[in-house]
Amino acid sequence: MASVPLGAPNKSMNVPRAKLQCDRESILEAFYFGPSESYLFGAFHPRQGASRDEAIVLCNPFGQEYLRSHKSIRRLAINLASLGYPVLRFDYRGTGDSAGDITGVSADQWVTDIGHAIQELQDMAAVPRVALIGLRLGALLAAKATLENDQVSRLVMWDPVVDGSAYVEGIRSAIVDAQPLGSRSRIIASDGTLHFNGFCMPPLFQESISSWHLEDLAPRVGVPIAQIMSHESETFARLKRFLSSQPGFYSELAPAPHDWNYVDHVGGILWPKPVIDAIEQYFGRTTSS
Amino acid sequence: MRERVVTVGDHLPLVGIFCEPDADRVSDSKTAVILLNSGVIHRVGSCRLSVSLGRALAEHAGIATFRFDFSGIGDSDARRGTLTANQAAIEEVQEVMDYLGKWKKIDRFILYGLCSGAFAAYRTAIADERVLGTVQLDGYCYTTWKSHMMHYSPRLLSPTRWLTWLLRKLGLRKVKKGVEVSGIEEQFFEVPDFASYPPKEDVQQGLKTLNDRGLDMLYVFLGNEHYKYHKQFEDCFDDVSFKDNLTVIHRPNATHILSEPEDRRRVIEAITDWVNEKLPAY
Repeated sequence: MASVPLGAPNKSMNVPRAKLQCDRESILEAFYFGPSESYLFGAFHPRQGASRDEAIVLCNPFGQEYLRSHKSIRRLAINLASLGYPVLRFDYRGTGDSAGDITGVSADQWVTDIGHAIQELQDMAAVPRVALIGLRLGALLAAKATLENDQVSRLVMWDPVVDGSAYVEGIRSAIVDAQPLGSRSRIIASDGTLHFNGFCMPPLFQESISSWHLEDLAPRVGVPIAQIMSHESETFARLKRFLSSQPGFYSELAPAPHDWNYVDHVGGILWPKPVIDAIEQYFGRTTSS
Repeated sequence: MRERVVTVGDHLPLVGIFCEPDADRVSDSKTAVILLNSGVIHRVGSCRLSVSLGRALAEHAGIATFRFDFSGIGDSDARRGTLTANQAAIEEVQEVMDYLGKWKKIDRFILYGLCSGAFAAYRTAIADERVLGTVQLDGYCYTTWKSHMMHYSPRLLSPTRWLTWLLRKLGLRKVKKGVEVSGIEEQFFEVPDFASYPPKEDVQQGLKTLNDRGLDMLYVFLGNEHYKYHKQFEDCFDDVSFKDNLTVIHRPNATHILSEPEDRRRVIEAITDWVNEKLPAY
């Protein structure tokens, strides 16, 4: 696929942008940014009201979870912008409206994309610090990105994928379990690509996240961490115990039980509003400093 | 291929992605394919189908595509007004067509949609003669005597089905619904509203109008317990004298959201081939 000539990374102010002044509640600037060969779709929500010197990048989950959380992620962005935080949500390369497909993509490249988003948001909002909020796999990626970007001021993990290896194995075993039922949407291709509920995860991607574990990454994160959960699980409880001694750690259960991997036949989406409210309240009453 | 973010309308605009072929690959600069939302999924489409299809059409059919969010879905804010969602959808597609007409001098359109997107494509085609073709995945169709037979015969001959029926009648087996199936409470789950499925007679009349106008129609029917055989659409609307303007594809093993990679690939290929075949006539 030919790429879009959108200019060099982080020179995005030269790129034509679509600016929407919708109403008091929602102002959105949608645009492409990043390297021309792997351009990224971005949706920027400028701060409203109070002016804070911290911005927020939202990091999506993977596959069906991304589709089914789009509305929640957008609502969270609008709510945080109304608290005075400039917010950028974006699609990783090979996902959503961003360039290409996921063939040959590694999770390290998605972490690089988070870095592009951080830089882009700093350029747009003129802020020194950027918080990361990651949902599911996005939380694991955000933890990795926190270690690689000094500008990150805090890390919020929403129903985080704690162990990359277990996550891949969970998908693999769901595929294997579906085989006796004759599933054609849950299959393992001959090259090892996992096809799961309409999205694929290539071997390179599987390998890259399989060595990542929040219990390895989080202790090296030198900024406050928050863990917001929609439901209880032993994995979450263990992570909470593990991080509880870390300075600035915050944990909250905002009950909205659901299964991120449940896929119905008409494309229903998830709307875990208690979690959105909990994250908004966390940013409303705390600052990174 | 080049993509750019485009917004349509000054107040509460519609957000979309315009995807155009490279200049040396343009086969028809006056025609575009508009891809409509399916249910409550944002413009990338079920399993990212709209992105893959929009790009495939630009690259392999040399035609511009525009995928966008209806108001209240994805990145487009809800618009306040008195129109029903069905009426608003028609007006918003027309607004997009007006915009592309002014901006790119495009005045012929093919509308694509899956499920509720297909319904919107059909209704807009009736309302606006700039629409020369529709691509409808699981568009309006109804049961026939043959589909009833195919649906119920195996059930009538199945002892297990009879036993299940009896247990239900006796209240010994419950039909699982909603949260019992999904494990997700209703308040945390949003599904499309299919309450407005029109009477068959209305659709038959609409199809007659479109057929008389010579609209090109590609229907793709996916795995669906009510669409049982390839010619069901033609049997269902046998009062309409379709000619070579109708193409029907049936992929009975595919799910409604096209989660199977092979079916997704085949459907994109079939739509691209169909557009390539139809474009010279426009």
